[in-house]
Amino acid sequence: MSAALSRFSLRAVLAAGLALGLGSCELIEFSPNDYRGPADQQDLTAKNLARLAKTPLPTDDTLRFVFSGDSQRFYDDVEDLVKSVNQQPGIQFMLVSGDIADFGLAREMRWIDDQLRQLKMPYLTVIGNHDHVANGREAYQEIFGPLNYSFTFGDTKFIMTDTNGREYNFNGQVPDMPWVNQQLADRTARRHVIVSHVPPQDEDFDPAVRDQYTAALRADPRLVFEMNGHRHDYGIGQPFNDGVTYVNSYAFEKRRYLIVTVWGDKQFRLKQVSF
Amino acid sequence: MASTNKLNWCLVGLLLAAPALPARAQAHPPKAPFFLTLHLAGGTGLVALGGGVRVAHERLEPEVLVGYLPRRLSGTKGLAIFTLKTTYLPWTPRFGDSRWHAAPLTLGARLTYTTGQQFFLTAASSGRYQPGYYWWSSAVRAGLLLGTRLGYQPSGGLRTALYSELSTNDLHLVSALTNRSLRLPEILTLGGGAKVR
Repeated sequence: MSAALSRFSLRAVLAAGLALGLGSCELIEFSPNDYRGPADQQDLTAKNLARLAKTPLPTDDTLRFVFSGDSQRFYDDVEDLVKSVNQQPGIQFMLVSGDIADFGLAREMRWIDDQLRQLKMPYLTVIGNHDHVANGREAYQEIFGPLNYSFTFGDTKFIMTDTNGREYNFNGQVPDMPWVNQQLADRTARRHVIVSHVPPQDEDFDPAVRDQYTAALRADPRLVFEMNGHRHDYGIGQPFNDGVTYVNSYAFEKRRYLIVTVWGDKQFRLKQVSF
Repeated sequence: MASTNKLNWCLVGLLLAAPALPARAQAHPPKAPFFLTLHLAGGTGLVALGGGVRVAHERLEPEVLVGYLPRRLSGTKGLAIFTLKTTYLPWTPRFGDSRWHAAPLTLGARLTYTTGQQFFLTAASSGRYQPGYYWWSSAVRAGLLLGTRLGYQPSGGLRTALYSELSTNDLHLVSALTNRSLRLPEILTLGGGAKVR
């Protein structure tokens, strides 16, 4: 009787241990700054690009994507955003212009992914200043991927770059201009769109790199517009009066996002959607 | 008659109390209040070592721990995590031959400091930001703990206790308090260890 009982309780303890250990991996955390994610929450940029590649956009077809940003600690709003975006017809992917996390913690990035992976379409991100805080830079690279990357979808090349100069103590190397110039020099795509978190007119953009960056964009005949987050509100304009259009995204907390439609050489339409 | 009754009750009382009192005295001579701790996970490093002292009539355990987060978990280089922690033991019953003891519920609070160039004490102290640019310290975390423990002491031997505890930290708590959609298990972390005195 007692042997049976102890075997039973041993099994119960093992089962409980397994449930705790496997059922909620997050429970075992060695530091809030532990940079890792479970296997299905690693290299999300590469995984989302692979998913996007499965539904290629034919040449001359209209491009249509959702532009949003600054999801940081707005978890209640993410759920509603996903529901709203999933109801929009013809959306090919979603862009999030940085500040996925608020405190630079891997757990925060995983919380946002837990919601955004419910989207019917893939989503792509660029790193924001809050994603750099603490061990965030490592976490972002582990969970999402490279800080600078590009991809071509249909006729458009998207250049995603880290412009969070203040997080590097304005070291004169962010954004990485040799990399940006190389990407802009690529003439294989009909159009270019450059996406980053901090806009160049912002005081968090490295002033030593500002002129090089804006000059490079001005010189690119394929550039449709530059897209940013950071300011938490929608904005469109030509702050440098040089013909280059800058579009800023709503933060998730604003409960609005943009549907961006691009066709022709550089024609586009922005539609604001409330949720 | 009345006095006989009283005497009987006194005898019963003595008989009941007699084995309990000397046993308690023999099995548990007064212990030095100091203890050593080996702690695993729970947000204070892969492993943390330290020790502390039992005060306030054996109800409070302030302690200091030094934890290590290896490169494999930090992504950069190994990090040291210093922890100041206090555990409150409101109820510590003993079982059977009273070599076993437990604290079914423990409450605690802690502060951790993580070393590493990427962590700032305050945003302003990093030299990169205006004061208040980030309102929190990325190096210091405050945490709350809820735990349980079970201990054993062979006669004349060291008193050893195993414990486990659930914790959360200030940043996870702020996230949960400002979002209905985050559930309690999502902000919890499990840790545990052993204490010897």
